[in-house]
Amino acid sequence: MKRCVRIVLATLLVGFVASCDAAGEPRSLVPVVPAERPMPAGVDLSPEAPEGGSGEDCGDPTASLAPKGLATPAGSTMAEIKERGRLIAGVDQNTYLFGFRDPSTGELEGFDIDIAREVAEALFGDPNKVQFKTVSVQDRITALEDGSVDIMAYAMTITCERSEQVEFSSVYFEAGQRVLVRKGSGYSSLSDLGGKKVCAPKESTSLANLVSADPKPVPVAVNDLADCLLLLQQRQVEAVSTDDTVLAGMASQDPSIEVVGETFSSEPYGIGIPKDNKDMVRYVNAVLEKVRAESWQDIYGRWFEPVLGSATPPSPTYR
Amino acid sequence: MVARSWATTPGRLSIIAGGLVVLILLTGAVAAATTMSKSDTTTDLVEIHEPTAADVQRLYRVLSDADAAAASSLLVAGDEPIEMRERYEDDIALAGPTLGLAALDRSGDPRVTEQIEIVGRQVPTYAGLVETARANGRQELPIGGAYLREASHLMRTEILPAAERLYRIQVERVADERDSAVSFPYTATALAVILFVALLMAQVQIRRLSKRRLNIGLIVATGAIGLAVAWSAVAMTAHSDLVNEGHEHGSAQVNLLADTRITALQARADELLTLVARGSGGAYEEEFVKLSRTITGEVGDGGTLREARGMTEDAELSAHLDKAIGAAERWLTTHGEIREADDGGQYEEAVELAVDRRRVGSSAQEFAALDDSLSAAIASARQHFVDETVGGGRALTLLTTGWVLLALVAVAGVVGGIRQRLREYR
Repeated sequence: MKRCVRIVLATLLVGFVASCDAAGEPRSLVPVVPAERPMPAGVDLSPEAPEGGSGEDCGDPTASLAPKGLATPAGSTMAEIKERGRLIAGVDQNTYLFGFRDPSTGELEGFDIDIAREVAEALFGDPNKVQFKTVSVQDRITALEDGSVDIMAYAMTITCERSEQVEFSSVYFEAGQRVLVRKGSGYSSLSDLGGKKVCAPKESTSLANLVSADPKPVPVAVNDLADCLLLLQQRQVEAVSTDDTVLAGMASQDPSIEVVGETFSSEPYGIGIPKDNKDMVRYVNAVLEKVRAESWQDIYGRWFEPVLGSATPPSPTYR
Repeated sequence: MVARSWATTPGRLSIIAGGLVVLILLTGAVAAATTMSKSDTTTDLVEIHEPTAADVQRLYRVLSDADAAAASSLLVAGDEPIEMRERYEDDIALAGPTLGLAALDRSGDPRVTEQIEIVGRQVPTYAGLVETARANGRQELPIGGAYLREASHLMRTEILPAAERLYRIQVERVADERDSAVSFPYTATALAVILFVALLMAQVQIRRLSKRRLNIGLIVATGAIGLAVAWSAVAMTAHSDLVNEGHEHGSAQVNLLADTRITALQARADELLTLVARGSGGAYEEEFVKLSRTITGEVGDGGTLREARGMTEDAELSAHLDKAIGAAERWLTTHGEIREADDGGQYEEAVELAVDRRRVGSSAQEFAALDDSLSAAIASARQHFVDETVGGGRALTLLTTGWVLLALVAVAGVVGGIRQRLREYR
């Protein structure tokens, strides 16, 4: 009996010692993994450069077809649009000051929206006879090519390469590329941003300029211009680089960011028109002549004067 | 030692008695355990697994609802209506508790853990983005729209797919548990057969060893086991029938209707996002057409709603389904009008038709009617499931105790019967 007790005690002791041996560290059952930062839809972290920002040399791409008055003869593109009862304009709804949805009214507003309304006013005598179709930056050319819009009023830079695919009106606005950074970040121009993430919209001249910059930044391409501001606010990029006008719209939405550096490109904006509708190009140019003379200052004053100062309408060139 | 005992008659009798007692106790224990486990599984089915599946399905619904509310606020101008905001908040508040419950029922399945982690990690991020969008919207800054789009993208590409996978896993779990509840009790049956044969052989042996024809004790034992087996057969058949019935007219309907509801929610989101995209929403519209077709089928024929309607004879469920079919068809008609208005340049009219809940025949109203009828139909089908399955569980209530008692009676019979024979050798 005594022997039995001793055996039991010994077994317990050995078990105890063994369990002391095996004693591990306190465990955690939930692995600590850093948060996944959300991204807007369609962000491309290693975008290819849009084909030839400068394109083949085509002379002066801004030289458009000369206007021939505001007549809309039967059989013309303009007559077809009148028949339909409304102008269809491709626009942006996410770029503050150019084409954006006013959150308090739900209406589309901005410089490009007003320009599209001027064309509708000329056609119908009513600036509201326009149907806005919003497209993303990269779909601008496609929408013109498949004819789903009559005009594209979308802060669109006239380039030789694009002129091969679509027609452009005369220049109605002149912008230049600059850089938007957080205040106090120490960046003062694009050359400070070598190896840093810089945002620009897909298939834009801005992106092409970023890719060819030296020292080279790390380009981040987005579908909508507004996504660039979002990524900057979320600290997922160091800077945004696109047209100064667009950057001004972003800067006015956030007091902690600022536009810095010199303008390092020239971005003449033209209204995009399908390649076949040459008569429409002449018509729109006639409308723009009138706009330059009458309402351009008003429209500019409404959107850009508070942030960019005064300006005069660019003078047109014709081929 | 055994061989030596077998040589003498009393030894042989003792061995037979011992063997029978062990076999009876083993069979009784296995049968009682099988019955108890079937009964517990059935209870868990009603009390844990099916409710978890339903809660996870509701999680999917509230998250899509939150996203639809967010999408609507991209369409509605100005301050969002209080009902919309409250609905969003109620929706988000449900996510945490539901995930907690789903985690309780995960039973070590790594797939469940994975989905719970995705939803659990991303919902707070989502809510943060929505609030940033609100704060910007309040100051009339259009960048708010970009935050809402990012939030919606996160919801549609990460959170909702994970919630849907979680739901599918739970439905699978329910099916597995149901299968195990109604599975045929092979071990217990085999033991019962062996026991029967052993009892008969024992009686033959004893008859040969003694001159008596019948041994009352062994007959009592055989009777007790026979009664237990017969009782089990009847109770387990009733149990399986009721549980299967609960599936066919209950949970199978629930699965089909829950799928329909998820599809309808996706289609509704597509309808709104087509309008948000304002002219470049072709992909959303295509998806809407595809999804809505699985719900209503081609004009007046087919679709999951009619399939569910064909599966039931229950008056209440049929009434809900008829309502749902009507609402779905009116919704599609309104959707056609919305597309016509939008494509014809009447954007404001299209938006109003889509989001104005007060307007009679608006798609917001018809969709709400569809969702309500589906919700009522799901509740009705779930009730059917609970009724049948609980009834099935009741069929097994006394069987466990029955097996224990009858096994003890059988042991007493064997011991008594053989002791009587043994006494003759003293």
